[in-house]
Amino acid sequence: MHSSLIKTIILLFVSGSLEAHELTPTYPELRSSYVTGVVSAKLKMWNARMDVNYFKIEVNDADWNPVPFITNERLFKLRYGQRREIEIFLPIDTSATYICTKSMLDKEKMQRTVISSKVCSKIK
Amino acid sequence: MLKIVVPMAVSILATEFVQAQTEIIGNVDSKCIIVSETPGVYGNPNPYQLTTATTSGGVQPIIRFDVLAADYYKAVIEHPVSFSSAPTLDDVVTWTGDVEVSEVSDTDMSTYDSDKIEYDNAHEYQMTVAGSTWFKISSVADYGYNKSFPAGQYTAVVEAECIPL
Repeated sequence: MHSSLIKTIILLFVSGSLEAHELTPTYPELRSSYVTGVVSAKLKMWNARMDVNYFKIEVNDADWNPVPFITNERLFKLRYGQRREIEIFLPIDTSATYICTKSMLDKEKMQRTVISSKVCSKIK
Repeated sequence: MLKIVVPMAVSILATEFVQAQTEIIGNVDSKCIIVSETPGVYGNPNPYQLTTATTSGGVQPIIRFDVLAADYYKAVIEHPVSFSSAPTLDDVVTWTGDVEVSEVSDTDMSTYDSDKIEYDNAHEYQMTVAGSTWFKISSVADYGYNKSFPAGQYTAVVEAECIPL
């Protein structure tokens, strides 16, 4: 068990040199914001995908229907190796359950498949 | 006597200051990382077919999911059912595909393929073991009834999602 955890941690550090996409925390908390009736959640994103420079934020309810939210930029640029703090503002009675970041892909010039990555966090 | 004791005391105190320890604090929390290890390539073994099969000149895309804690996430991978970019097509494209585990960091992940849930073109895996799992995706597109694909560039997207439970 202990060695398995160490292997996993090593793999996670090694993965930094590859094409990775990460969003933390897994379970963000909604906190009251400076606006009455509005709550906010803070997340951190890391882009280690060399082929992706743009990401989109999506907020959905438990049935994956989109819900209204406000953030600084819904579509944002995040270069390879950069981290970004994301703050989402939601009405206090929101049904939001999932906050996700999705990679936006450039058109390729080859006969190939490209990989779209989407990592979500779940509001508890 | 004081001439010896005072410098010694100062020296001991100074040593203690020098040896003051600096802590590095880190938290290991649950998280999921999607790693795009190999983007796939379509081979064109027949005029009417594009396939990622290696025997037909294709390359199968490989995606790795790293999860730090067990039972926190599910992985959903969708093989393509349309082109994201292609020349104008005036006939039907029939899509087939599959997702399978190709490598694991822990032998307890060996049941992932048999336990997965499939719907439409999606393959859903419960990440019940911490560690890394490699998924290999296959994709085949057949055009019309043995009709030749028009010349041009074709791209299809494999969707990989990591969703907290």
